[in-house]
Amino acid sequence: MAAAGGKTYSFKVVLLGEGCVGKTSLVLRYCENKFNDKHITTLQASFLTKKLNITGKRVNLAIWDTAGQERFHALGPIYYRDSNGAILVYDVTDEDSFQKVKNWVKELRKMLGNEICLCIVGNKIDLEKERHVSVEEAEGYAESVGAKHYHTSAKLNKGIEELFLDLCKRMMETAQVEERSRGNGASQTSTARRGVQIVDDEPQTAMPAGGCCTSG
Amino acid sequence: MSQRSERRGIHVDQSELLCKKGCGYYGNAAWQGLCSKCWREEYQKARQRQIQEDWALAEKLQREEEAAYVSSHSSSQTQPPQSHSQPSLATFSKFEEKKTNEKTRKVTTVKKFFSPSSRTAPKKVPPEKESEKREKEKEEKLQGRRESHGETLLRDLKGIFTQPWDMGSPTEESHEGKTPSPSITRQSSIETDRVSRDFLEFLKTLQKPGREIHKQSRAFIESMGNKKDLSAEELSECVQDFYQGMSDRLLNHFKGSSEKVDRVMDQVEKYIMTRLYKSVFCPETSDDEKKDLATQRRIRALHWVTIQMLCVPVDEEIPEVSDSVVKAITDIIEMDSKRVPRDKLAFITSCSKHIFNAIRVTKNEPASADDFLPTLIYIVLKANPPRLQSNIQYITRFCNPSRLMTGEDGYYFTNLCCAVAFIEKLDAHSLNLSPEDFERYMSGQASPRRQDDPAAWLQSGSRVNPALSQIHHNLSVLSNLEKRQQQVMEGAQSLQTELAEWQDSVAREVQEILERYPLEIKSRASAIDAENVENDRLPPPLQPQVFAG
Repeated sequence: MAAAGGKTYSFKVVLLGEGCVGKTSLVLRYCENKFNDKHITTLQASFLTKKLNITGKRVNLAIWDTAGQERFHALGPIYYRDSNGAILVYDVTDEDSFQKVKNWVKELRKMLGNEICLCIVGNKIDLEKERHVSVEEAEGYAESVGAKHYHTSAKLNKGIEELFLDLCKRMMETAQVEERSRGNGASQTSTARRGVQIVDDEPQTAMPAGGCCTSG
Repeated sequence: MSQRSERRGIHVDQSELLCKKGCGYYGNAAWQGLCSKCWREEYQKARQRQIQEDWALAEKLQREEEAAYVSSHSSSQTQPPQSHSQPSLATFSKFEEKKTNEKTRKVTTVKKFFSPSSRTAPKKVPPEKESEKREKEKEEKLQGRRESHGETLLRDLKGIFTQPWDMGSPTEESHEGKTPSPSITRQSSIETDRVSRDFLEFLKTLQKPGREIHKQSRAFIESMGNKKDLSAEELSECVQDFYQGMSDRLLNHFKGSSEKVDRVMDQVEKYIMTRLYKSVFCPETSDDEKKDLATQRRIRALHWVTIQMLCVPVDEEIPEVSDSVVKAITDIIEMDSKRVPRDKLAFITSCSKHIFNAIRVTKNEPASADDFLPTLIYIVLKANPPRLQSNIQYITRFCNPSRLMTGEDGYYFTNLCCAVAFIEKLDAHSLNLSPEDFERYMSGQASPRRQDDPAAWLQSGSRVNPALSQIHHNLSVLSNLEKRQQQVMEGAQSLQTELAEWQDSVAREVQEILERYPLEIKSRASAIDAENVENDRLPPPLQPQVFAG
């Protein structure tokens, strides 16, 4: 959501994907530029922030990691409510993880509509030889659901910077469109009100409620 | 006669069985031979007497005390220099004085906050006035004590205690109305008092906007006092609208930077929520309390869940890790004790930080959400934090949304919500158990730890629980110590007998030698000076001289 008089944007981005696809490595590479490093200073890699300056606009990015294990799948809606963007990571060597991404996309579109910017990320392209998810299939799918597709390697630091920069630009566009479509004075109140109501709800009831609130 | 022989076995006469008072009923040995009715009368009488005696004693003691007090005071008043000779009494009275002063101060500040004058012009109560008032009351108190004794003092004190509650304005009533016991009321009012003072202090740094903020906040709290019947959601809406309106105003009218506005909003939240806490935390109109109990019972039923089932990446055998785990548990429990939503959030964050530390020490890499969430679930299961649902609801309803939605605190809070949701829906599948096992564990028919033979269980128990292995270790150390202690005792005893023997042998030897060479004392034939006869001219032996002074 755009905050503070339109000058500084604060975005919440959730990181979704099965365990072991390299979500944590991806975000650590982006925020600390380190990979499997013993000198990583951060205590944790589950909540990271990054300050950006894109075409003269300040952007505060908050990246929320989510637990990828299958048993926590049902908790997804609690994590991704109110997020502006979602990065869905799969492992190019693991067909299963791509299927999981498809599930996430369906869910996200159902809950949050088109307000959320989706990025589908095929990680571990340094293991190109063992690839099990074809490039055409992945990119075709991404296009069909209105998401962008990226190929990255956290190990080789490939494609990560582009991914986040692109995502930020798209989120800014979405935010600006939203701002324009509403009156300036009304937007702030309704943004906050929307958020409050969603947070108020119980996890189970949040699913339908989230959908109807964010659409309006 | 034949009847008598039949009764021989018991040896009691009919008359002995009857009540001693002769009322015709049977008595009982436990009641000193009286029947129940007479015993009750007797007993009541004795008790009454006892109570009266106690009263008399207490009164006598009190009179003596008062007399001592009065005499000490009159003496210190008529002969001021002599008061030094009674230091203990003097200091005691000083202490009393201090105590009363303190109470008076509290009263005046409470008065200050609720008196109508402060409501219309909050900033116009100058500090001098307050201190003046205090001074005056202090003087009155002193006079009162001089001219009469403890009784008036007591009355004064009573007045002080009752005063604030008697004169409490309706607003006060509505904020603190839910508290049943006066001690809690007093404590909380002290806290609100302190927070109010801090708030005023903070607003002073803002000058003009500060006054505006204070006026609005006060007005809002008062308006909330009339809305007690609203549902929790409506109350939340009121508070959130107020936050929104206030921050909009600060941004647009006073042109504050967003960081500054955030800071001000934090203070406003602290002030308002400390005041409203009693009436809006777990309100009667909601079913929060029911949910609290349900969650608590659920967590208790899941006591058998182990680290392995949740795949928690934490090794509690490492002392630093188990230390962090304990700290995390403490923090999540402590959360309940705070009133301000943001303070509660701070405890959740602190708990999360401890969890991260535990994971980092175990795995030697930064924790991802894959590690964090299971560990948080484990911590919540172990801690069973009080009023968990109420706290979560309270935070979501009344926390400033800018904190809750995007910040780090918000992330941890979301994880806590996830943990609670997971615990509520937890089933066999989510613990990688077969449904049958899950059912058996839930119903308490079996415990995952006790399936193996006892020895293995003991071993695994000590592996799972570092405290147990510590106990084992301590026990072996203790038994070792006991053995050594015994050795020392034995050594000491043998040394003692040796010593005794040695003493005896020495004595015997001495005796033998003495017997062998008996001591013969030859008497001297003459005086010592006898052979000095020719030295007649020697001066006489020196005489001790006594010098006076």
